[in-house]
Amino acid sequence: MSSRLPLPPLALGVLLVALLLIGGFAVYRTAFAPREVKVAVLFDVGGRGDLSFNDMAALGADRAAKELNVKVDYLTPKDLAHFVPLLEDLSKRGEYELLVLVGFLWIDALDKVADKYPQQKYALIDASTGKARANVLEVLFREQETGALVGVSAAGMARELAREAGGPIKVGSVAGMSIPPLWRFHIGYLFGVKYFEAKTGTKVEFAWVYTGKFDDPAAGRRAAETMLAGGAKVLYGLAGLTHVGMFDAVIDWNAQGRGRALALGQDASQEWYNATYIPLSGSKRVDVAVYRAIEMVVKGEWKGGLSVLGLADGGVGIWDIEGVKYFAQIAYDTKKSKVTPERVAEIVSSQRARYIKEDVQRLMKELEDKIRRGEIVFKDPRDEKEYDAIIKELERGNLNAALAKGSVS
Amino acid sequence: MSGEALRALSETALALAAAVFVTSLLLLLLGYDPVSSLAVMFTYGLGNVEYVAAVAAPLVLSALAFLIPLRAGLFNIGGEGQAYLGALSFLYFSQQFGALGLLAGGLMGALLGGTLGALRAFLGVNEVIASIMTNWTLYYVTLFLVSRHLTHPEFPHRSIDVGFFLGSWTSFLLALALALLALVLLYNTLLGYEIRVLGSSRRAAAYAGIDVRRVTVLSMSIGGLFGGTAGALKVMYVGHLDTTMSALFGVGFLGIGVALIGKSHPIGAVLSAAFLASMIIGGHWVELRLGTPPELTDVIVGVMVLVLSAPYALKLLQRGGRLG
Repeated sequence: MSSRLPLPPLALGVLLVALLLIGGFAVYRTAFAPREVKVAVLFDVGGRGDLSFNDMAALGADRAAKELNVKVDYLTPKDLAHFVPLLEDLSKRGEYELLVLVGFLWIDALDKVADKYPQQKYALIDASTGKARANVLEVLFREQETGALVGVSAAGMARELAREAGGPIKVGSVAGMSIPPLWRFHIGYLFGVKYFEAKTGTKVEFAWVYTGKFDDPAAGRRAAETMLAGGAKVLYGLAGLTHVGMFDAVIDWNAQGRGRALALGQDASQEWYNATYIPLSGSKRVDVAVYRAIEMVVKGEWKGGLSVLGLADGGVGIWDIEGVKYFAQIAYDTKKSKVTPERVAEIVSSQRARYIKEDVQRLMKELEDKIRRGEIVFKDPRDEKEYDAIIKELERGNLNAALAKGSVS
Repeated sequence: MSGEALRALSETALALAAAVFVTSLLLLLLGYDPVSSLAVMFTYGLGNVEYVAAVAAPLVLSALAFLIPLRAGLFNIGGEGQAYLGALSFLYFSQQFGALGLLAGGLMGALLGGTLGALRAFLGVNEVIASIMTNWTLYYVTLFLVSRHLTHPEFPHRSIDVGFFLGSWTSFLLALALALLALVLLYNTLLGYEIRVLGSSRRAAAYAGIDVRRVTVLSMSIGGLFGGTAGALKVMYVGHLDTTMSALFGVGFLGIGVALIGKSHPIGAVLSAAFLASMIIGGHWVELRLGTPPELTDVIVGVMVLVLSAPYALKLLQRGGRLG
């Protein structure tokens, strides 16, 4: 009787050792390799492609994915009915270390779900539930600070335009909905204009309109045309996609020879849209907020509660030429703009030099330093009543009504 | 099972296979992996049945809103506007009257549907055009009321909370009960018979002594009743309306697709609403798992609706809107 093995014993031994090695290596890999952190970014219903708010959130997450070795997945809910069940499903699975919720539409869903899953970490960007929770980080911005700097420069630009082409010195803004971040923009912008008035002695007219929408360019266009016809020289866009219609109105206003006007963007750098007539954008670094939240988780420095990003933290400000170039590159790569980033930067620099004169640059620098050093701090209106009261006082020229700390004269 | 039902089922199975085929082809053309996309869509779509029930419930009703008038040969494109009105009425009346708010939503929808029906019956106003106009008017009326009068005191972007709530399963059972009611109405009542005769031929109906005007107004009212309830259920599930209108927008239009996939049959509408709801839910996970753009999900769902409803819609067109 000859027992025949399917393989010679030596081969069998080699195979066994090889298997053990591979298995051991796999166990070693899973046990000792740095564990990859998984993060999910949940957009609002608009999702990516707005070249502003949502895209900037994605930008911050992408950067975190590269620099911090994080796996980032994205999700765009179809409509409001999906916010709670999706958030609940993701929290229950617990596979994501952090769920980043982009925008105020998530407030209600987070309020309903967060307490049920204390192990799940959440970061709510640019909104607040009004409650402090250990597993929820809420990131807000000091919109007043970027608004104030934009206000000073807008007033300066309107003065130059009136000098060149005649007409009143008038600035305006096409805003979205009356929600707390917009209240803060309004306070800052009006403060900046009044600051310019107080320092230069030049009277500046001011107009502000809520279109009620963040996604309606036609409404933005109508609002802008009304303001332009009323003599406004510089319009500040604070309405997401809606103020793209404002951009178009300003561009056409110049192109059709109906007058001279400039537009200012906000959140992302939007100069690339038309560098000649959009020489400046305020920044609101949603990307910084998202990156920081992810960084906290990766580095094990998680701390729930409210975090407010201002000028001093690099959370808000005015886009410099590097930032302008960066977004112009994205627009160029995605074929939204045919102008090269270098050319955009060149036009923006020359337009800024032409319309922001030295005295205005000095004013902006002075105000920026005061804010950075914490010498002045803006008020945060808790409700619409307080907001209205601050605006009324500002309109009368009482700058200090907008300040919670410090004073200007 | 009757031969007719068997044929309808096998027809749908064939259409489903065709829809999967066409969708896969399109996904391949766009450079995505069709197998994993559809696998993720279906597995995650059916992973949470309660969620499917919640999303399907308003769709069943907005399908009925289109289906009942269609059986009478009328195109109620106004399910959308009826849903807005129903949602608003529910939001308002549920504050004081709780569950009765649902009834208020349905009745307001019925009133609107009936008005459109009366315009058609007595003045010859085309119900499609009138529906589309009221849809947009009511869209902006809703937006206005949400941002001015029903606004939440703390969060200005949204309305106050609804005053009455039903769980996902209860609302689905409610939708199912209403679908059964519609079934009985269509096949076991005189009015249902008159609706079906009117759908087959207006002139024959008139010749047979059926009051065409009365049936026109009634079928549109019943459609409106369902449309209004659809809006009420949707806002009830979300808990509030907001100024993006994303809680409501499209619920009526999607109902048309659901009704066509379901071959204008109330039970078919329930099945196709559940199917579409699971596709929409699963679509979210395709983006999350495979990193595809969210628009891809819309494309998949759109193609599915198109292919699945095509055989029935074509039949309908060939007969000039008349049903057998």
